[in-house]
Amino acid sequence: MSTTLRSLGTRLRTNWQDPLIRRNVGLLFLGKAIGLFLVLSLMTRWFLPALLDAQAAAPAPTSAPDPMASVNAINTVWTLVAAFLVFCMQVGFVMLEAGFARSRESVNILVEGIADTCICGVTFWLWGFAFMFEPGTPWIGTTGFALQGLAPTYGATGVPLLAFWVFQFAFADTCSTITSGAMIGRCGFVGDLLYSVGVTGFIYPIIGHWAWGPDGWLAVMTPISFHDFAGSTVVHTIGGTISLAGAIALGPRLGRVFKRDGGGPMPAHDLIIGAAGGLILWFGWYGFNPGSTLSALDTAGIGRVSFNTTLAACSAGLTALFYSYIRTKKWDLALTTNGFLAGLVAITCPCYWVDPVGAFFIGIGAGIVVVWGIDALEYLRVDDPIGAVPVHMVAGIWGTLSLGLFAAGKYGAPTPTGQDVSTVVTGLFYGGGLSTLKAQFIGSASITVATFASAMALMYAVKATGTLRVSPEGELEGLDLHEHGSSAYPEYMISGSESVILSVADTSKAA
Amino acid sequence: MKLISCIIRPDRLPPVKEALFRAGVTGITITKVSGHGGERDMVTVRRGSRLLLEFREKIKIEMACSEPFVEATINAIVAAARTGSVGDGKIFVQPLDRVVRIRTGERDNAALTPVTAEIVQKHALELAGKS
Repeated sequence: MSTTLRSLGTRLRTNWQDPLIRRNVGLLFLGKAIGLFLVLSLMTRWFLPALLDAQAAAPAPTSAPDPMASVNAINTVWTLVAAFLVFCMQVGFVMLEAGFARSRESVNILVEGIADTCICGVTFWLWGFAFMFEPGTPWIGTTGFALQGLAPTYGATGVPLLAFWVFQFAFADTCSTITSGAMIGRCGFVGDLLYSVGVTGFIYPIIGHWAWGPDGWLAVMTPISFHDFAGSTVVHTIGGTISLAGAIALGPRLGRVFKRDGGGPMPAHDLIIGAAGGLILWFGWYGFNPGSTLSALDTAGIGRVSFNTTLAACSAGLTALFYSYIRTKKWDLALTTNGFLAGLVAITCPCYWVDPVGAFFIGIGAGIVVVWGIDALEYLRVDDPIGAVPVHMVAGIWGTLSLGLFAAGKYGAPTPTGQDVSTVVTGLFYGGGLSTLKAQFIGSASITVATFASAMALMYAVKATGTLRVSPEGELEGLDLHEHGSSAYPEYMISGSESVILSVADTSKAA
Repeated sequence: MKLISCIIRPDRLPPVKEALFRAGVTGITITKVSGHGGERDMVTVRRGSRLLLEFREKIKIEMACSEPFVEATINAIVAAARTGSVGDGKIFVQPLDRVVRIRTGERDNAALTPVTAEIVQKHALELAGKS
């Protein structure tokens, strides 16, 4: 014991004589002192007064009505579990995108996914939620910035506001991560940060307000309002359309030759990660669709939604699988993965209002349109490395319109304690005429066009700053090394020694 | 007979391959290699520490050629692999004593021409004519 202490003392003494160590330790402690000072001053400025107020107000009368009395516990838990499942889709997205990209841009995809999530959380708290879900005009919400001055539960759902926020944050985050899908491999990181703020802070919440806001113009449209149960249009078409605008603004990756020029897509670097990510997305979708009831007490509803989600994914995956076999005589993994994802995207809008037969055919349609979408992009020479545009935009449009065809005419809307069938949604094939289809068409077309126009403006604005696309050298070197200075698989890179750590002075000459 | 090996940038591999096929050189062996030439060291960053990556990734192509093909091969590689900046790579030409094709036991020049050479070259020329 004493020898250990003595050797420790000796080491400290020798180290202390090294001027470099002395300077670094000094800097370290100076930094800590500054940080501590800032935290303490912030606490005294805001936290302490609040604490004192709380103590002073502690013996307040308890006879006041409990503001949380309208909260429904089981619905809250259901919504939160669904929110966590939807958040788990982030894992699926980064895996799918990284797997289907080349290895030299994997780190970039991971950092983008994480940064998008963080940006989305902050902007959605500060103003995104207010724009999207609070009353205002038919075009944009205008109250409740930073969630100030809002009721303890959201609307008549019986779900606490903050729980509802978490659920909707996960949705907004999904939209923002879809966006990066068609832009990977050549989009600069600063450009990504800039357009992410535009997407999660403005395009998604403002256009989403039209369909999901309490007074959005599509939500209150007469005689039949636009229906989008869990977001085929609001989340997926918006995300996919922004992605398309980004891919157009960026142009294809260097060396990408399109099918009509005698080339083909660049190979995926890890299909295992890609396919596993696709299946994790499928799993997360069980929060996305059934959770959108916001009500576990609509038991028939959540069962039906889960069932329809499953069936549509299966039929879409099978369709894409056989379609790919007919075309190429090979059972294509990447196309099948895109196929079942397209089925999930398509069933997201109609999942509450269709019966099993409808879900089955919606899935088949999705499996076909996703292949056509991939072909169309290839023909138009738009480089979409993972198929974000066919899967999310094209299948999203198909799913939204399909409600007008397949709505069974038996289901209305979920309520906090059950279901409300006073007004049902009926599609063309179930004798409902064209009115639902017309409403769906108006909603899908207006949102797609508005999103595409605003996204093109946003992408070209970011492009004008010169940060949207990296330099050709950086792109050939790979975004991982160029933007982030590290490779996703460092052990496969041969280095001279284990690691040569540069001190601050060395970096100027080697950087 | 010569053994030609060259070190090129990884992103120049597709054009070099095309140029070699057009020149009629269709028997090539490719390796991923790392090495050090005249270019600047690259710095990587991991959890805030800056690490020096001393070696750059390169592609090494080896091909055995009969004498009439040697100059054509060298010209094809130089034309396709040159970018003009440091790090474009090098070509090494060595004499080759003996070549044996294992399948037939053919020796030397007879063993050098891949059986599909003409088809591959014709296809490459067609592609080049198209673009």
